[in-house]
Formats: sequence, C-alpha cells, structure tokens
Amino acid sequence: MTASNEQSPALTPRTIRPAVVVGGNRIPFSRAGGAYAKASNQDMLTAALDGLVARFGLADELIGEVAAGAVLKHSRDFNLTREAVLGSALAPQTPAYDLQQACATGLETVIGLANKIKLGQIDSAIAGGVDSASDAPIAVSEGLREILLDLNRAKTIGQKLSILARIRPKDLAPDAPSTGEPRTGLSMGEHQALTTAQWKISREAQDKLALASHQNLAAAYGRGFFDDLMTPYRGLAKDSNLRADTSLEKLASLAPVFGKRLGAEATMTAGNSTPLTDGASTVLLASEEWAAAHDLPMLANVIDGEAAAVDFVHGKDGLLMAPVFAVPRLLARNGLTLGDFDFFEIHEAFAGTVLSTLAAWEDEEFGRARLGLDGAFGSIDRSKLNVNGSSLAAGHPFAATGGRLVATLAKMLHEKGSTNDRPARGLISVCAAGGQGVVAILEGR
Amino acid sequence: MTRDDYQLAEMPSLAKLYLNAAATAARTRVLGSTPSVDLPPRATEVHGVLADIAKMTEYQHLVGKAARDIIPSGYLHSMAFPVAMSVMVREDFPLPLLGMIHLRNQVEHLAPVQFSMPLSIRSWARNLAGHRAGTQVELVVEIRGDGGTDVLWRGVSTYLAKGVYLPGLDKPASAPDIREDFQAPNPTGIWSLGVDAGRAYAAVSGDFNPIHLSVFTAKALGMRRSIAHGMYLAARVLADVGSPKPEGFSWDISFAAPVFLPGTVAVRIADTTAADGSWASSTFAGWNARTGRKHFSGSVATLVS
Repeated sequence: MTASNEQSPALTPRTIRPAVVVGGNRIPFSRAGGAYAKASNQDMLTAALDGLVARFGLADELIGEVAAGAVLKHSRDFNLTREAVLGSALAPQTPAYDLQQACATGLETVIGLANKIKLGQIDSAIAGGVDSASDAPIAVSEGLREILLDLNRAKTIGQKLSILARIRPKDLAPDAPSTGEPRTGLSMGEHQALTTAQWKISREAQDKLALASHQNLAAAYGRGFFDDLMTPYRGLAKDSNLRADTSLEKLASLAPVFGKRLGAEATMTAGNSTPLTDGASTVLLASEEWAAAHDLPMLANVIDGEAAAVDFVHGKDGLLMAPVFAVPRLLARNGLTLGDFDFFEIHEAFAGTVLSTLAAWEDEEFGRARLGLDGAFGSIDRSKLNVNGSSLAAGHPFAATGGRLVATLAKMLHEKGSTNDRPARGLISVCAAGGQGVVAILEGR
Repeated sequence: MTRDDYQLAEMPSLAKLYLNAAATAARTRVLGSTPSVDLPPRATEVHGVLADIAKMTEYQHLVGKAARDIIPSGYLHSMAFPVAMSVMVREDFPLPLLGMIHLRNQVEHLAPVQFSMPLSIRSWARNLAGHRAGTQVELVVEIRGDGGTDVLWRGVSTYLAKGVYLPGLDKPASAPDIREDFQAPNPTGIWSLGVDAGRAYAAVSGDFNPIHLSVFTAKALGMRRSIAHGMYLAARVLADVGSPKPEGFSWDISFAAPVFLPGTVAVRIADTTAADGSWASSTFAGWNARTGRKHFSGSVATLVS
C-alpha cells in the first residue's frame, strides 16, 4: 500500500479540448413491417456498429465509451448497448451505457460523450441509437402481470389455484406501446395538429417541405453522398420511405390523418408526417490526438449543446416546441445568431413541427413575450435547411435520428470547409416526446 | 464442380429424405440387405442455393447471435445438410441413416458469405472405417459461390452407425476410447435447455431427425429421451465464443455423451490472443452440470495469420 502523499496539492480541473466527429455509419432506414420486420434493436445496432468498425478499422480497438439507446425497448434489453458491444469486433473491455431521452436520445449521446472527450475523461467514443417499431415490446396487461407476480410468490397448490382463478378474459389483452403522451392521451400527431393550427401552417406549406425532403434526399443518394455514411442491411441499400418521384399533386391527394376533430382545417397527412420506422445509426467521436494517432479523418467539432422542455400538458406550448426555446439560449451562450450558420438540420417529426418552429422564431410577439428578446428571434435562409433531406423522406427510427443528423451534418460541414474566414457551421434541432428538445452546434474542419 | 457429379435440380426436402430413410430401414429389416463396403463413387451437387433470410434470422436469434447479413457458420452447415443427407440415403450408401450418431465436425470457414449470394453445395462420403462401436464415415461438404468461386466453407462431419459392422472393416485394434477421463473445470457459462430445444432447433434448421423431437420419437430409435442436436450445441458455442470472427476461421467439435432434454449444460470457453491483442483461438468444452459427464469439446481458431 502506498503512503499518502502529503505534498499532493488540491487538484485543478483540466482545461477542455475539442471533441471531433470522425464519421458515422447507419443502416438504411426501413418503414415498419418491411425489410427489418424480424430484426431486433440489438440486431440493427450491431449491424450499424459492424459497419462503423469496418469503415474505421476499429476491430479489437478499446473505445473510451459507447452510448446508445432505444425508445421502444424490451425489458430484456436493459444493457442493449453493452450487449451490442460484446457482440461486435470492438475490444470486449469497451464500456457502454444506455440512454433514453425519447427522440433526442441519439443527439444526447453525442453531446454527453463529446463532453467527456472535451474534459479528457475519454479519448474516443461511439454514440448511437436504434429503434424498431416492428419488433416492439408487448407487455401483458397490468391485471395479468399482478396475478403472475402473486403466483410466483404463492407457496401451496391451493394458493396457486385461487390466484389463477382471478384471471379474467380482459386480463389476456396484451398491452402494446403507443405514441400517445401519458399525461394527455393525445398521440404525437394530434399534439402537433394543435400546434400546426395555432401557427396557421398551411397544408401546401407542409406538403412543399415534405416534397423538398424527398427531392433533397434523392439527390444526395444520386451523388453518392451516403456512400461512406451507410452500410446495407437485409438487402436494403436505401431508406425505404424515400419517394424520389413524389410530387405536390400526389402529396395533395392524401387524406388528413391528424387534427380531424379540430375546429380548424385538418392539414396533416401521411405524406407530411414521418412514418413508423426501423433503423440504427452510430457516430465515431474522438479527441484530435486520438483521431490523428489512428490516422482517421476529422469532419467537425462538437461545439455545444442545449436541452429544453416546455409545459405542454395544458397547452401552454406545443408538445414538440421545446427546441424553439433551446436554440435561442444556445446561440446566446455562444454569441451567435441564426445568420451565423451555413446549415440547419431541423428534425422533421412532422412538416408542421419544422414550420411551427420557424414561425415562432419569426414572430415579434412570441420573441418578446416568450423568449425575452427585443423582437423576433430571427429567420433562416430556407436554402440552408435540411439540404440533404430529413426525416420526412428518410423515416424516423426514434433514437437513431440523432446519429443520422450528426454524421450527415459533419460531412456537409467538412465538405464546405470554411466560409467568411470561419469554419462552416451547422445547427441541429431535435424535438422529443414529453415536451423536450435537444439542440447542438457543430463546426466543420 | 466435376462433370461426373450427381446433379440435383433443386435442394432436396429433408422431410422427404427422412421418410425415404425410414422406408429403406423398414425394407432392410424385412428383406435383409447385402452388406457393401463401398461408398457412392461420385459427389452430389446442387446449384443456386439461397439462404432463406427469415429462417436465417430465426436461427440467429435461437442460437443467441445478432442477426447479421453474414451467414453463420453453423447455418451454412444446416443449408448444406440436405445435400449431405441425399448422399447418405442413396441406395449405394452402405450405412443406415436413421439412428446414426454425430461424432465430430471439422469446419474451415474460409471467407464470409453474404445471405444474398447464390451458392453451390457439393457433398460426398469418404473414409468408411471400423470403430469400436460400429462403423464410421465422413461426409464432406464444400460450399462455393455459384459460378465457381474458391471454396468458401468446407466441413467434414463424422458419423457413427452404432452396432453396424461391415465385412472387411476391422475395428481399429487400438481404438481410442472417447470416454477419456474428463475432470469438469469451472464453467464460464450455463445453458438451460428446455424440453422443446430439439423441436425449436429443428424448426430453424430443418433437421427433423426424430431423435431430437420428442421422447416418443426418440424411444422409437432406441434413445431413452430426446436429445439436443449436436449442431445446435456447436452453434451455441460458436455464438458464445464471440463474433464476428475474422475473415477466415476454423472450428472443430467432438461429441461425447448426448445431451438429454431437458438438461443443463455447463460450458467453459478459454481464449488465447495474438501478440497484438487480437483474438487467436478459443478452446471449449461442455458437460452435464450435475454429473460432470462430458458432452462435447473442441476449438475455434483464426485462419488469418
């Protein structure tokens, strides 16, 4: 045993250092019930991880930490990420943890791990997320669950029989997950329909945004943009929701699915809402030293991140409007305005979400009363928005969307290089269930 | 591919092959047969074999593997098994298929095989030899990509026809006793195999050999209870050794006492690593957790030097 060193002074915190995005890998996203219908979350996360390991030569590599998560998760997957690591070619000594923050899961893993790298706690990290709407957990009913637990505690045959006699037909109905908010009973789409109507977002504006998403994603595939961001899985080489040939006419022909019981006109359709989707994504993060030592690229720095939440329960704000508050705080802290960005990645949960967010930022009264500003927060150049498509076209496997956004934006920023004597800069905004939102700034390099 | 091979137009159905084998066994019992010590002179081959992705996914989940696009080594064995079986049910194959005991599998998995790749599967029998408990034979399987790639996977399965002694094949004088002393070490894992483990593996592998399905069908073939498939045990141990493997690897498993179902198998896996820290090989053994009787042992090793 070593004697304590009385000369050891109080420790001072280390200075922070950059955290870089080395690259990413995802599997193509599939509409639920499609190519990945029989694939579990662990299967898909492993497939995305395998591709990342192969792309960056990480076999037998001990990574500082891996964090990922899933929104729809089986109880047996309590250690989903660690299990995926153990099943991968990474060194088995690589630690891992699961994280869950609804649709912000993926982005939050990136921010959390980047912070650890910045603080010098780890030198490398893999962030990720996965979700399967096809292989969703189904629980037994609450009544049956209690009976089974009592049965497990029963000691005599008589006790067991009397407990079994409590089972009623209604107890046998399974309990499947839904996208409903526990406190309001409204589905996410119904919540957004309220917000869409509040901000008077037109059907045509929503359809135009959806069309741009499909066209931009198709064009990105066309020029091979995803070649080094994706590994095919189960025969799928492209996001199966992508409709390269869709048109405003086709989108306009779809019947509304949300907001049909509102006083206002129902404007939200299957075309301007994201479908239930299966998929997984991963992002490799590192310190500059680690990336250089492994001769790996450095696409972008993870600059900063911010989370926000809104009081949506009685309608003070829309369920998916938290990023509206997170972004102004994040930009103020970094001395930036919306004009200082070259790319905006605003997750398209629904076209109405993106357009309501932009409308709120452009609203003088909202800026003054709710954001505490002198007037409107600002507007963004729409030619910088989701330029390689987003969730309306790619689909949205909840926890996997963050990793898709970060890897896509990092590559775009790296390609753009610098502009106006500064590195290209991008903003990511993700809304999430429970009235939450997580946003982040990346800078190209 | 050899022009002289027996070509099968399509993958034979295992169910039909088993029925065929049962009919042959019944006929032999009634009519008797002339013992032969020759093996079928030519190999049997099938082209254009594709993995059934849904079945493969079920297999991967059953044996505890993540569902990758690369075909598991054990699943390639399952895909090839009907071809090997169609060699063993031929009229000129000298041993009865039903009731044969699986002694050993030696596999060289030379390159990863994607599920979407059409395959050619070729099989033949060799090395008919005396065994202290009967007669043994080796079934060789070679898998190539359709159109004649290099061999991707080569497996040799050794089977024993217990109690069958063919004229001219002497028992080896110094037959090694497979029941060598086995001292059960500390396990690294425990498998609890349910009574339905045989049926579950039959459903994903297509191997409906009656000795695996139920007590009743197993008793009909002289077993006191149904037993786990040897290839299920091999697949589980391969999954437990870890994945993914390097580009090429070999594995070798020898079976001792059968695993009666339901049962609890204790397993020990020991890894060795290369100088650079990468995985080099693993040895493994499985035994009855209660009695310590050995069920199987073997090794997995990288083929990449």
